Amino acid sequence: MSGGGPPRKRNFKIEEFKNRVELDPKYAERTWKVLEHAIHEIYNHNASGLSFEELYRSAYNMVLHKYGEKLYGGLESTMTRRLKEISRSIEAAQGGLFLEELNTKWMDHNKALQMIRDILMYMDRTYVRSSHRTPVHELGLNLWRDHIIHSPMIHSRLLDTLLDLIHRERMGEVINRGLMRSITKMLMDLGPAVYQDDFEKPFLEVSASFYSGESQEFIECCDCGNYLKKSERRLNEEMDRVSHYLDAGSEAKITSAVEKEMIANHMHRLVHMENSGLVNMLIDDKYDDLARMYNLFRRVTDGLLTIRNLMTSYLRETGKQLVTDPEKLKDPVEFVQRLLNEKDKHDKIINVAFGNDKTFQNALNSSFEYFINLNNRSPEFISLYVDDKLRKGLKGATEEDVEVILDKVMMLFRYLQEKDVFEKYYKQHLAKRLLSGKTVSDDAERSMIVKLKTECGYQFTSKLEGMFTDMKTSQDTMQDFYAKKSEELGDGPTLDVHILTTGSWPTQPCPPCNLPPEILTICDKFRSYYLGTHSGRRLTWQTNMGTADIKATFGKGQKHELNVSTYQMCVLMLFNSTDGLTYKDIEQYTEIPASDLKRCLQSLACVKGKNVLRKEPMSKDISEDDTFYFNDKFTSKLVKVKIGTVVAQKESEPEKQETRQRVEEDRKPQIEAAIVRIMKSRRVLDHNSIVAEVTKQLQARFLPNPVVIKKRIESLIEREFLERDKTDRKLYRYLA
Amino acid sequence: MVITGASEKVALQSLKASDWHLEGAFDVFYSQPQVAVTNCRHLEELYNRYKEQDADMIMVEGISQLCEDLQVDPQDIVMLVISWHMKASTMCEFSHEEFIGGLQSIGVDSIEKLCEKLPSLRAELKDDQKFREIYNFAFTWAKEKGQKSLSLETAIGMWQLLFAERHWPLIDYWCQFLQVRHNKAISRDTWSQLLEFVKTIDPQLTNYDEEGAWPYLIDEFVEYLIENGVVQRSK
Repeated sequence: MSGGGPPRKRNFKIEEFKNRVELDPKYAERTWKVLEHAIHEIYNHNASGLSFEELYRSAYNMVLHKYGEKLYGGLESTMTRRLKEISRSIEAAQGGLFLEELNTKWMDHNKALQMIRDILMYMDRTYVRSSHRTPVHELGLNLWRDHIIHSPMIHSRLLDTLLDLIHRERMGEVINRGLMRSITKMLMDLGPAVYQDDFEKPFLEVSASFYSGESQEFIECCDCGNYLKKSERRLNEEMDRVSHYLDAGSEAKITSAVEKEMIANHMHRLVHMENSGLVNMLIDDKYDDLARMYNLFRRVTDGLLTIRNLMTSYLRETGKQLVTDPEKLKDPVEFVQRLLNEKDKHDKIINVAFGNDKTFQNALNSSFEYFINLNNRSPEFISLYVDDKLRKGLKGATEEDVEVILDKVMMLFRYLQEKDVFEKYYKQHLAKRLLSGKTVSDDAERSMIVKLKTECGYQFTSKLEGMFTDMKTSQDTMQDFYAKKSEELGDGPTLDVHILTTGSWPTQPCPPCNLPPEILTICDKFRSYYLGTHSGRRLTWQTNMGTADIKATFGKGQKHELNVSTYQMCVLMLFNSTDGLTYKDIEQYTEIPASDLKRCLQSLACVKGKNVLRKEPMSKDISEDDTFYFNDKFTSKLVKVKIGTVVAQKESEPEKQETRQRVEEDRKPQIEAAIVRIMKSRRVLDHNSIVAEVTKQLQARFLPNPVVIKKRIESLIEREFLERDKTDRKLYRYLA
Repeated sequence: MVITGASEKVALQSLKASDWHLEGAFDVFYSQPQVAVTNCRHLEELYNRYKEQDADMIMVEGISQLCEDLQVDPQDIVMLVISWHMKASTMCEFSHEEFIGGLQSIGVDSIEKLCEKLPSLRAELKDDQKFREIYNFAFTWAKEKGQKSLSLETAIGMWQLLFAERHWPLIDYWCQFLQVRHNKAISRDTWSQLLEFVKTIDPQLTNYDEEGAWPYLIDEFVEYLIENGVVQRSK
């Protein structure tokens, strides 16, 4: 070998085997037989004696030499034969062993299939694919399905067995859940269609009729609460069943079947059940039952709607009775307390049992709004309730308690349609509280004002706040007055003046009565002092709103301090100079208006324990022919006797009419202002639209009456703010 | 003016049109379509016959006299029509201008001519459009000077007069209702809307619409009729 030259190319050639290894048909047959034998052995649990490698190779060779079809066909027929035998053995099983036998054989088959598939893997990958045959594993399952499950003897027996077991479990027996699980899993493995058609559908049908029957039975003998308990239990059982041995996909279907049969089909009967239905549960605060009902009904269409509708109509009915029952309306404070209690009760129910469901909250609100406004005295009564609380009810309460109570009252306030009526009364009551000094806590008062302002805006509360300011300013003024004028005043009566800004206070103009000379003197001194520093202002004494503390000495020397109204003071002071006076005398000297005078004399002479005057004749009522005497014989256990009270009270019928009239009068300009505002911006508008717009604009304060709106429109036409359109009489135009 | 009896205005027009030739002016004048020829002097004479002694107005006495001369009742509705032509501002009074202008627009200058015209004046009430104008005119004319509304008594009187010409079966109920339930003056809007009501809504109220933006007084009237069984509620 020389190594010097260029390397020579050598041609490599790969040649086929000169000797073709021919597989002769006999060889194929033999190979098949080996494999067939192996399959049988596998099914016979004798697989350990087999050589995987050899079998695999055999199968491989067969496929390689184009005997794939033979192999596949052989497999199919062998397996089929085998399965037919298995089928017979399963059919032969007695009673309870049927299912077990089926299960066992299924396990075997699976194992066998596994091994067979491994052996025939090459065929699976090549021949099966190219000839579009069913892969081995799937083939095995299909054959099982066709020859076992769908075999006439087994098919119905399987289903019946399964359903029977389920039924027994429903009736309380314990069954083999593991076995059940295995069987259903088998069905799922065979394909969802098998599970559904051969088990699930019939299962659902049977269940539906089972529950239909059971619900019928229960509803005849159970009360609502118990029925719901049973339903809940059944529902839970089914869910449990699914999780233990059914396919997860069945859960929604079975639960909806139970819901339909047990709940949906009996909804109305349940809620309306006498003595145990929804209404009774509400009345008795049965939180658990209500919660259960809510959770169950939530699952069905219109379930919650059914509950809500019944609850609403019940609330409206009871509310209506509450606000129209004259007995319950006798005490306004108690009436409002009842309303608050009802609200609390149902709030709690919605909170605890209905999961704070907003739709229920809304139903509650709308019901309250409906019946509170059925009684047109509600605004007055709510104001009286607040008055009572601020006057004495909140004594000793903590700041949080106060807030809680006032917030609850505000909730009721929000339901009122006639908020302007409330404002009127609140002003009156507040004035009385402030002027008599009878408020429990200044902070509580202010807190209430803030809440009203937040709810209704500045306009609502500006005058109320003005009242507070006046009180404070008056205090300062009095201090200054006494500081400056103390020497001048000497020993006279002590004066405490509240200077009220007209317009902020709900005062009625009243001509002042004749004050006793001592009082008159000091009043004049105050007037000149005040006008000295506030020239240009005009002061008018409101003698119908004042109070006085008088020291009185009676027959046996008992001294009492009488707290009386200004009018009463004027009357009593007359008796300093004479013992007896006729009604007419008193009227003449004091110039107190007749109706006020009668009331004043009545409280001085006709009320037990407060009769500092004696009247002849001793009748109950004051007549113009009566004569009055100082009652020497007056006694009282208290040193300080209160006679003149300016406490806020439920208005009498005539007073109520008067207030209502004033409210109506106040509304007219508000309606007109709204109409003008709307027309100014819209220029031309038809009648119905104006009414709608006005209502919308004013609804925060009150609900305007369409007839009143129409009258205001006509008034505006008269005053040439508006005119009717020449061609369309339903249109109005704004006249600039 | 003396010859043709035309007014100053018309005379001037004619002269201008003929370029200030007198003869031409006559041609113009007589060829123009004239509604009527009124003699100014006659009108003045007529006015003076009726006017007050110490005021430049025709008042109650003069009007009475006028009615006597015309042989009509002072309550006769034709007086209203005449007043309408005169654009009289208030009843029982005619100003100088109103009287002269009114008679001119009617096209008469003497009592005889006015008498002849009476039937055609009455006929004007049958015309829908004119009736409406006269009706609405009546409100302003009949009310007190300086008042915005018409007193109920006067209104009822006027309505009875007017609806004698244009029949409305509910007129008596209407007047009754007002006296019993309302008892206050009538606003202009109510007055004019009533005519619309009469014209559009049938006496059985079958086409009455509550949402029809009728004055509230008319709504109340409908309620009154229903309450008293005169008509059925349509709902």
